[in-house]
Parts: sequence; structure tokens; C-alpha cells
Amino acid sequence: MASIELRSVSRIFGAGAQAIRAVDRIDLRVEDGEFMIFLGPSGCGKSTTLRMIAGLEPVSEGELLIDGVRVNDIDPAERDLAIVFQNYALYPHMSVRKNMAFGLKLRGMAEAEIGSRIARVAETLGVEALLDRRPAQLSGGQRQRVALGRALVREPRAFLLDEPLSNLDAKLRSVMRTELIKLHRTLGTTMIHVTHDQVEAMTMGTRICIMRGGEIVQVGRPQDVYREPVDTFVAGFLATPPMNLLPARLDVADGALRLRIEGQEIALPLASRPGWARHAGRDVILGLRPEDLHEAPVGAATAALDCTIETVEALGPETILTLRLGRDGTELAARLPPEGDWRIGAALRLHADTSKLHLFDPETTRSIPGN
Amino acid sequence: MERRDRRFGWMLSAPGLLLLGAVVLFPIVWAGLTSFFDYTLLMPGYDSFVGIGNYRMAAGQGEFLHSAWITLLFVVAVVAIQFVIGMVVALALNDARRGKSVYYLILLCPLLINPVVVGLMWRMILHPTLGIVNWLLGTVGIAPVNWLGAPDMAFWTVVLVDIWHQVSFMVVLLLAGLSALPTEPYEAARCDGATAFQRFWHITLPLMRPVIIVTLLIRMIFAIKTYDIIYIMTRGGPGVATDLISYFIYRRAFVSLDLGQACAMAVMLLVVIAGMTAMLWRAMRQVGE
Ligand SMILES: Nc1ncnc2c1ncn2[C@@H]1O[C@H](COP(=O)(O)OP(=O)(O)OP(=O)(O)O)[C@@H](O)[C@H]1O
Ligand SMILES: [Mg+2]
Repeated sequence: MASIELRSVSRIFGAGAQAIRAVDRIDLRVEDGEFMIFLGPSGCGKSTTLRMIAGLEPVSEGELLIDGVRVNDIDPAERDLAIVFQNYALYPHMSVRKNMAFGLKLRGMAEAEIGSRIARVAETLGVEALLDRRPAQLSGGQRQRVALGRALVREPRAFLLDEPLSNLDAKLRSVMRTELIKLHRTLGTTMIHVTHDQVEAMTMGTRICIMRGGEIVQVGRPQDVYREPVDTFVAGFLATPPMNLLPARLDVADGALRLRIEGQEIALPLASRPGWARHAGRDVILGLRPEDLHEAPVGAATAALDCTIETVEALGPETILTLRLGRDGTELAARLPPEGDWRIGAALRLHADTSKLHLFDPETTRSIPGN
Repeated sequence: MERRDRRFGWMLSAPGLLLLGAVVLFPIVWAGLTSFFDYTLLMPGYDSFVGIGNYRMAAGQGEFLHSAWITLLFVVAVVAIQFVIGMVVALALNDARRGKSVYYLILLCPLLINPVVVGLMWRMILHPTLGIVNWLLGTVGIAPVNWLGAPDMAFWTVVLVDIWHQVSFMVVLLLAGLSALPTEPYEAARCDGATAFQRFWHITLPLMRPVIIVTLLIRMIFAIKTYDIIYIMTRGGPGVATDLISYFIYRRAFVSLDLGQACAMAVMLLVVIAGMTAMLWRAMRQVGE
């Protein structure tokens, strides 16, 4: 059990002119028992942050605290954290069983207890049949499960998981996702989980921390981040397909907000978003989730957009359409129910739920608050 | 096509092979043949065939067994001490951040010196009355040591000189092995709570095993046939204290002039070294896997 706190933490690689700030003055507090998700594009510093917490990467600037104690200079062995490495880092000369037992043996645990823990974890992960093999004799996904198992047999103060499910097939991944959630619920141990996977990000964590270029862009509960992205980056990163971002011009007339988007117009009552009035007469970016576009008007708060169908992806429970605004305007996506006869190149009138609109400032890319 | 390639290959290697045949294969075959005859340099000739008589005589001879025993001691001492020193130095160098190439250069110096020069140099350095070592000892009040004159001391002096000469070979090979080790298991071990010694014991040693075996075998093969240093520094003495097997065989052939017996002993030495080479070869193949 541990809380983890980063105070203006940076990791700088190299020196002088070639110095790279892989992690740039991050502030973050992971509460005791929390399940924190690190999400961000490749190279944004997720692994580096995790490795600093583990103690494998020195903290160049700032303070790292575990349970309120400064640990910048504490050896990883004494931090008592279990990590799953992005590249697994299994012991190549040890069998799967010994890989898992190593950390426990070092702590002087009794053989019987070690055996029963390994048996339990191996069953959860479905690697019982592989216990006597060497890592070189395993597939990528099997190695990854062993790496996960090596962390799970321990009872550390916190788990640090660097993309622990990335190499599993879809089915196994969803099983493991559930197992990890269950495990977190029963143990209540603090977890930090790095992922690229939208579903993992939305379903597993109590909070998501979205990173870009070594900085934290937004931290919050998954629904909150989804509902209220702070800028166009988060809006365009979370979920697939991501939020549609359309260039628009905002005007206020007759107590109504009018958004002009490539010759089409969406109007909504000024009273619903008084805050937007401050940006009247300026260019803005309109954000619209694909699921907030419908084939038929929904209630009173809808506005029509004429589009042209470009591609149709029938996924089963739903269909994703890629469209062009007007005939050949900006690209956007819509998430529609599966039944429907869509032809590529045909015109389609969609109805946007105006209560779900977002506006962003094109200069700062920040979200414009509605009130 | 393939046949022509092969013929061309043979053609290219023919001169080298012929030369090797003349200076390596022929002496070996000739020594093997001679070992079955009572062939002395006083009465050279192949008229008295004695079968395995020479081998039996060698095996029953106290002096020969003594030499074999001394050689075994020498090999074990030299290789073990060199290994320990080599490993410690290699571990330290592997952690060095800068100046690695400078250390390399310094370390390689002894290895580049001809063994004869090494022997002559150390004989002067360790000279009982004129040598610098005893003079240095004298300045701190230690009585002069008879480095090469006292039987027990002479053995260890030769061991020390050989270590000085060859230890960098160990360092270089072990360092190459160490720097090729993956870093990830070490990070995992640190998070698993392993101390520096536990990481060395549970990760470095097992991962280095093939490299260690190869290094030890190479050094052992070379140590068994040590000859030059003995010839220059002690001539096997005092008494027979440093009478290593190669030097013993040399004396049997060119001092006692009993070529038949010397050849039998040489063949026995060859068998031991060939056996070790076979082990080395097997070990090397494992490293590649
Ligand atoms: N040892 C290093 N030396 C120099 N730069 C490094 C080093 N390790 C990482 N970096 C840089 O730091 C940045 C962050 O790397 P990091 O591995 O944390 O990314 P990541 O978010 O985990 O990416 P991915 O999702 O691809 O795993 C990258 O730009 C990378 O090039
Ligand atoms: Mg990473």
C-alpha cells in the first residue's frame, strides 16, 4: 500500500545542447489504492516516468515521494515495488517457475508458500504448463504473461505495469483485463498501468493521466476526461474514432450562438453556453464525438449537417462512417447503429446533438468553457 | 559450380596447408612414431622397437610424475588466481564510464611483450642483490627475498610472473563477455530486491558461464605448455621446484638425449591438450547457441 507523489519531476537525458527532456516537470499524486492509467502517444515519457518511480532511472529534477517519504536516492530494492517491463526483462537462464520465485526467495519466503503463490498466479495467467520452460522457449504473449506473473506473486507496495497486455490476443487481453481489475479490487494495492489501448484506459483505471511530449496534459476519471477534454490533443487522442474537430466561426445573433462550418450552420441558444459568447466573431474549433451524430433529429437540440459518405466500416454492433462535410470538406466520423444501407459517395444528412458540442481555441488548442 | 568453388578453395589454401603439414603435422607424426622406439640421439635409428615400453617407463618414473604434479599445481594456481583477478578487474572496468580505452591499453601492454623478454625483465627486477624489488623492500626494512633461489619461493615467483604476463587476457575476454550481457535482467533483479552481490551471483555468473568456461579452458591449455618463462628464469630449478612438463620433456630430449622417451611424454601431453581442446570446442559451440 503506498501513495506515490511526483513533484515537478523531470528526467533529462544527455547534457548541454543535446539534452532531451524526456519527462518535463511532472506533478502527479497517485493515491493509496488507486488504479492510475498512463496514456499517451509513443515516446511521450510514460516508461521513463514509470522507471523513475521504480528507481531504475534517476530523477534529474524534482522530488519523488512514496508514502510521503522522499525516495529520489533510495535503491529500487528498498522501494519494494513490482514492475512489469515493456520488454519483459525475464531472467533468460531461469525457468518460468524460478523467474517467479526469485524475488520471493530473496525475501526469504518459505518454499511451500512460494510454491502455492506461483501455482495460484500461474493458474490465473494460464501458464501452468509452461512453468519448467525457459523464456527463450516461450512465445511473446507467453513471456508477457510470465512477466506479469513475476510481479503478481509479490505483495509489493505498488504495481508498475508497462503495457502488460500489449502482446496478447484480443480474447486473452480482455480476460487479463478483468483479472487485473479483480486483483486490484481484492488486494487494493496501488497500481500504475501504462497502455496504448483505449479500452484498457477507459475501463480499468480509477483515473487516467494523459501525457504528451514529457508533460501531463490532463488527469481525471475516465468519464470526466472523455466528457471534458481540456484540449484538442486529448479530444483527438482518447477513443477510436476520436472526437471530430472541425474548423468553425462563432457569431452571436438574436440570443443565439451560430457556428458556421464550411458553409453550413449550427445554431444553439446563447443561454445554454453563455461562456462561449466571449469568443464571438472569432475562429474556433468545433468538437463533436462520432456517437453524437445521428441519422434522425434527437429532441429539440439538434442541428443538421450535410455530408458525403467516404467509407463504411461495419463492425457488427455498430457501423463507423467516414464522411466529408458537404461534398468534399473536412473529414469526420460518425458512429451509427448497424442497420442502414449506406453507399459510398452518397449524400447523407446527419443530426448533431448540440447539447454535446465542444469548442476549442485554435490558437491555444484549449477547451473554451461553456459557462 | 560448387565443385569448382571447392577446387578453387583447396587451391588457395594449398600453400598454407603444405607449410603446416611440414612444420606441424610431420613432427607430430614423427614424434608419435619415435615414441615406440628406443631412439637416443647417441644412437639414432629405428632398429629397436619397444612398443609401449617408453610410455610405461615414463608413467613409472618419479621425476616425470613430479613434473606432471608441479605442472598441475602451476596450472591450477595460475588459472584460478588469474580468473579471480581478471573477473574483479573486468567487473570494475565494465562499470567504468570514461577512460575505458586507456585502461585497455595499459592492461594489454604485458600481453604484447614476448615471453622471453618478460622472463629476462623479471629476472633482473627480482635479482637478489641487484633487483629493484629487494631494494624497495630494503627501504622499508624488509630483508631481501631470494625470489628464484629458494624452491618454494621460486615456484610462486614463476606463478606471479605468469599472472602478471597473462592476466589481461582474462580481463579482455571476461570484459567482452560482460559488456555483451543484457541489461534488462539486472533491472528486474534490482526491483526484485537483489543486492549487488546477489545480482552477481544469480545473474552475472550464470549468464557468463559459457564465456567463463571458454576463457578458463583457453588459459589452461596455454598454461599447461608453459616453457619460455621457465627456460629463461629458473631452468626448472632450484632443484626440480619449477620443472614444468614442457621443460622436463625438453631436457629429456636434448640433455639426456633420450628422444624415444621424450616423444612418448610429448604424445601424452598432446593427448591431454587435445582432450581439453575438444572440450573447448564443445563449449565454444554452446556460446554460439
Ligand atoms: N536512455 C535514453 N537516452 C536518451 N533518450 C531516451 C532514453 N530513454 C528514452 N529516451 C527518450 O525519452 C522519450 C520518452 O521515452 P519513453 O520510453 O518514456 O516513451 P514511452 O512513452 O514509454 O513510449 P512507448 O509508448 O513507445 O513505450 C523518448 O523520446 C525517448 O527517445
Ligand atoms: Mg514505453
